[in-house]
Amino acid sequence: MAANTLLSNEELERGRRARSVRKHITAYGFLAPAFAFLIVFLFIPLIVAIYLSFTRYDLLTSPEWVGFANYETLFQDPLFWQGLRNSFIYLSVTPILIVLSISLAIVVNRRLRGVYIFRTIYYIPAVTSVVAVGMIFEFVFAEPAGLLNGVLTSLGIIDAPINFLTHPNSTLVSIMLVTIWRGIGFYMIVFLAALQSVPEELYEAAALDGANRFQQHWHITVPGIRPSIIFVAIISSISALKVFEEIWVMTDGTAGLLDSALTLMFYLYRQAFTNLEMGYAAAIAVVFSIITVVFSLLNLRYLERNNHEPEQP
Amino acid sequence: MNLSSPKTADIALAAPPRVRKPRGRWLGKTGWYTIMVLFGLVTAVPFLWTALMSVRPNSANVFRANQPPEIIPYPGLIGWGEGQRTATQEGSYTALPWDGTLPEGTGLGWWRDYGDQNELLLGTTLSQYAFPATTANYYRVWTDVNLPRYIFNSLVVAFSVVTLQLLTCSLAAYPLAKMRFKGRDTAFYLILATLVFPDQLTLIPTFIMSVNIFGFADTLHGLIIPFGANAFGIFLLRQTYQSIPNEIMESARIDGASEFGIWWRILLPLIRPGLATLAIFSFVGSWNSFLWPLLMLRNEAMFTLPVGLAFLEGAFTGNLRTVAAGVMVATVPIILLFLVFQRQFIRGLSGAVKG
Repeated sequence: MAANTLLSNEELERGRRARSVRKHITAYGFLAPAFAFLIVFLFIPLIVAIYLSFTRYDLLTSPEWVGFANYETLFQDPLFWQGLRNSFIYLSVTPILIVLSISLAIVVNRRLRGVYIFRTIYYIPAVTSVVAVGMIFEFVFAEPAGLLNGVLTSLGIIDAPINFLTHPNSTLVSIMLVTIWRGIGFYMIVFLAALQSVPEELYEAAALDGANRFQQHWHITVPGIRPSIIFVAIISSISALKVFEEIWVMTDGTAGLLDSALTLMFYLYRQAFTNLEMGYAAAIAVVFSIITVVFSLLNLRYLERNNHEPEQP
Repeated sequence: MNLSSPKTADIALAAPPRVRKPRGRWLGKTGWYTIMVLFGLVTAVPFLWTALMSVRPNSANVFRANQPPEIIPYPGLIGWGEGQRTATQEGSYTALPWDGTLPEGTGLGWWRDYGDQNELLLGTTLSQYAFPATTANYYRVWTDVNLPRYIFNSLVVAFSVVTLQLLTCSLAAYPLAKMRFKGRDTAFYLILATLVFPDQLTLIPTFIMSVNIFGFADTLHGLIIPFGANAFGIFLLRQTYQSIPNEIMESARIDGASEFGIWWRILLPLIRPGLATLAIFSFVGSWNSFLWPLLMLRNEAMFTLPVGLAFLEGAFTGNLRTVAAGVMVATVPIILLFLVFQRQFIRGLSGAVKG
């Protein structure tokens, strides 16, 4: 620029620096409101959580440093192991959800009249609150007047009502069914979006090569939507690990008879907010987070590795 | 067959203009519709069952021994307001289970008992499946627990959270997407890292701070402020900003617009689809959130809808019809909202996932 020739190098440098400072002030100004919230309600609590896990703290007296005592107690706590076991059992909703929602996405990914109406209906559970869904399924599972028991009894399939939510053997499984029911539509939409980006021509070529429908989906659909499968595997296994609301609602806040539906997250809630063992609960939260992060990484690794294998033996 | 071989790919690419073969012939249209309807029933029946429960006049089992189930509602005791007692006395049946427990009132409101028979159904085989439906459960849940108050609280919280998140996220995502400055990548990775850690880790310290330091217990702003920023939202909007060409901002800068002016007047209108997606997600998330309000609220007047709903069962022990009416009131509006905005919902979800 012509004007620059009138300025000394020093002035130029000063101008550049001033512009740079102004640029940084603008950028950080834009970031500031969000970071204020994130720092206070995310970053600080993250550090405090780790600190608390090494203390004994009941909200009333100040935290007392106890070293690794919480973790030592934790690993000898039968309820912790029960929660861990139940959380891992709960994880089995993930493969079921993936298979069912991919199948459903394949079904609705065709040009049929009215297919949009079905897609919409399938998505409705995903926008309904977990609390409402839990209560709806209390009506479905109720004994003896619930829908399932009523239908099964009048069809003569069962003689006595099944205690879906009150028998220790069936409580967790019944709640898992609800999670699957609520999740299918949501993940179906995720997979549908992915399916629509798989080129149609690939199927035609495969059909020419003599692949049957199942082979087509196994060799084209599944590799084609692998990023979505990874995404769903991670998201749904995290939400399976941290399941809480369904259990709270459907067992009326008790985690079921004999703690049969006690998951890790529920145990955390109970220790923190019923027993006021904040330090101990923080230790559960730390262990829980490590499990979650490790699990996400495993999912990512495993599904990524499969990606590099040849598609045809 | 090797699908990844170049040969097949060439064939695929060279394929003549997409002649769409009707795939799915092996099952046929009827087959696909059957599958879709069956799964539609699996989705819809629990809702329909709840709706059925919510209009039942009494606690009798829908499935009666050796008789057809009562699953077809026809108008029975219909109305709104106090004065329901008068209606039942004048009406042809008095099977209402809570006689005398509704607030006293004579002639207030509007009630009419259409009787325990329906002319349309009378004499048909359907009549043995029929029962007189009532709106009394809805009236009771609307008045006996403060359902309008819960809805109001939920709306206040959800709208505030949406507004706040739209503001903070759209501000923060702009420099992350469009500016060059020191610490940008660090800031971005910090935000990404928070997505990896489950929010359960921060639950306890956030609770302690909120109650002991900020005094958030039993307040509505205690349900809003902790959710003032959303790492996922920043991530989402950053991608929306990146799709906008830099030239638009450059020309505005040459025209002498300030960065804030560019953001407010030019960029915000352009990222509207991203904002809509974020708004929908944060609205549904806030409207449905349960654990945090459960921890924060003791005072019934501050309850949000999910918390109020969860305690309905305690309030109406044994009266599941009233609870069912409450569930309907809580779910139907959000389902209607979804039906109205379903395009944005689904496109937003797909966009957010594809990234």
